[in-house]
Amino acid sequence: MKSAAAIIVLLLALIPLPWLVRSDFWLNFAVLTLYYGFLGQSWNILGGYGGQYSFGHAAFFGTGAYTSAVLQLQLGFNPWLAVGLASVAGGVVAAIVGGLSFRYGLRGSYFALITLAFAEVLRILADSLGFTGAGVGLQVPLHPAVVNFQFAGKSGFYFTMLVLTALGLAVVWYIEHSRFGARLMAVRDNEDAAQALGVNVYRVKLGAIVVSGILMALGGVFYLQYFLYIDPEIAYGPAVSIAALLAPIVGGLGTMCGPLLGAAALQLLNEVSESAIGAAPGLNLVLYGAVLVLIIAFLPEGIAGVARLRIGLPRGRAA
Amino acid sequence: MSQGNRGYSLSRRRFLRGTAVGGLAVASGAIAMPHVARAAAPVRVGIIHPVTGAVSYSGAQGRAGAMMAVDEINAAGGIKSLGGAMIDALLADAQSKADVGAAQIEKYNDAGVSAVVGGYASFICLATTQAAAKHGIPYVVDVGTDDRIVKAGLKNTFRFSPGYGVFVDTAIKALDQINTAAGRPAKTAVIVHEDSAFGTGTAKLLQKQLGSIAINVLEVMKHPTPNLDFNNIVLRIKAANPDLVIPANYYNEYVLLARTMLQQRVRPKAIYSVLGGAASQYKFVKDFPQAAAYIMDCNHWYNPHKEAALALRKRTEAKGLYFTYEVFLNYEAVMLLADALERAASTDRAKIIDALASSEWAGHFMPYGPTRFVGGQNTGARAVNLQVQDNDIRVILPPEFANAKPIFPMPA
Repeated sequence: MKSAAAIIVLLLALIPLPWLVRSDFWLNFAVLTLYYGFLGQSWNILGGYGGQYSFGHAAFFGTGAYTSAVLQLQLGFNPWLAVGLASVAGGVVAAIVGGLSFRYGLRGSYFALITLAFAEVLRILADSLGFTGAGVGLQVPLHPAVVNFQFAGKSGFYFTMLVLTALGLAVVWYIEHSRFGARLMAVRDNEDAAQALGVNVYRVKLGAIVVSGILMALGGVFYLQYFLYIDPEIAYGPAVSIAALLAPIVGGLGTMCGPLLGAAALQLLNEVSESAIGAAPGLNLVLYGAVLVLIIAFLPEGIAGVARLRIGLPRGRAA
Repeated sequence: MSQGNRGYSLSRRRFLRGTAVGGLAVASGAIAMPHVARAAAPVRVGIIHPVTGAVSYSGAQGRAGAMMAVDEINAAGGIKSLGGAMIDALLADAQSKADVGAAQIEKYNDAGVSAVVGGYASFICLATTQAAAKHGIPYVVDVGTDDRIVKAGLKNTFRFSPGYGVFVDTAIKALDQINTAAGRPAKTAVIVHEDSAFGTGTAKLLQKQLGSIAINVLEVMKHPTPNLDFNNIVLRIKAANPDLVIPANYYNEYVLLARTMLQQRVRPKAIYSVLGGAASQYKFVKDFPQAAAYIMDCNHWYNPHKEAALALRKRTEAKGLYFTYEVFLNYEAVMLLADALERAASTDRAKIIDALASSEWAGHFMPYGPTRFVGGQNTGARAVNLQVQDNDIRVILPPEFANAKPIFPMPA
């Protein structure tokens, strides 16, 4: 219960931010940190808690974004109504990917590669089909209004992301404190042993990927409403999959706050490297990459691991 | 060199430091030197390009062109109606990503820019113009040919150059004219395009319109950007044996396609591109003269009869750069904005938008008609047809700007 209280305090502490931060840039920074943290949390459920490393979470992200865009632009749906259907679509795609992969016992690098392949297939489909706008993508017209899921200022998007972050944390809290979570972590730690103890490995992994897919699709819907434009590369390209796995790896795999810490660290690193290097094109990315390598090399348990060692944070059941 | 000429990367630290120093300067000026004329506050202008990532070459060229214009304006005394205010260029890298570009606009808003120029790729411009619209920041699109950029109804967005709708119309008319003059040897075509907004949109329009001039499209082939191998695509072209190959892609892929066609000895009657990434690039002509020879292209180009264009070409080449369309379009985009700033006599965003919307700027060296913005698009913007002849890029159509005649079909 301590961790639930800590999460609630953290979320409550984040509520007044838009009133404290007057700068749109820093508010945008906060929105993007929460957004990447949320994508990371979605990946963390399957990768961190379930030990199933996916390289193709873009498949779920893109499906959420495209479902919402197509429903709005081709069928005239209100974007709020499209949210539910988009998340269901993400879950369905996750069930298909997981169902096929886990049924045939794909693990480790084979699972990683098959998820990458699914995302690539969906990218090519989005690139070819007329109703997805093919290569030109889909653009949502700019009509700032709450009813259109477009806010005039950044605060609306910030609170949307805060709600999604709370949802992600609640799901992870449930995983850490439920039988389902215990089974999932048992599968992660030793799949054969878990199976020998009577855990239905297939069902547990499938459950994790569906939950992960639904959250990732919600991330896709948010991206669409925030940037109002998607194309196959943005939606299904490898950049999204990498962004989703990077935050929990840097922050701490299989920890509740790891993805959020990782996203904050990566966003800060990005800004600091850009400020430090200045106008020289690409050098900031080199610095960003170098620091990333150092983090991964010297912090194998991520930032959450350091925090635990330094300030004596309790080790979660998951880690 | 002035601060504006140097340009600088936009960062919080710089912004805060600049604000603090500026504040101190204003305060000390007001107290210590009340009667001494002070230099006008610089006009902050955001210059955004993808200088890293998939389209970094074009982005870097665009940045260079924009900065040449900024340097020139500042060297000539800045914006006169603002008391000689220098243009303070805040450089940003969109990293060839739409969301990064949109995030940079937020920084610009915080930094208090009066306007933004650039974007280059359509997918970046689509995101950045909308982000700028939310803050009412005037935005001059440098290249971005996707027509949705100016059809979104954004009051802040202005595109001086034409979109791919104009390019396709011009290209189709010119192709028909060239083909007819040669006795109609071209009857079939293959379209090769990259798969993002620019290539797909162009290919779609081309496919629709080529039938109207009795040219049958045998196949449409698309490829991603980047694409490292064109052997399969060229084998498919060879099998289809078209009279025309029509590429619509970015620089690297265009070069690779043309070189692979040369290696595999695929010689159609013409390579006729629309917004061909390399067809109208001196670098391509210099590096691969054999592959580039006689390629025709409908693209952005300057008026070869204008001294100002030739002078800018010289200055660009003196810097060790190629004089590409990214350079001169960005140069012109900044000049257009400078004209609007002069007329607005204000750094207020709304006033600059009004000045851009009513622009009749004629000080450019492009082969355009009178500048007039309708819905953010310059209706005077025109495309021209070019051909690589004698290791140079020549304008072949329209006749009033031409400095060579078309050579079609290309010699074996």
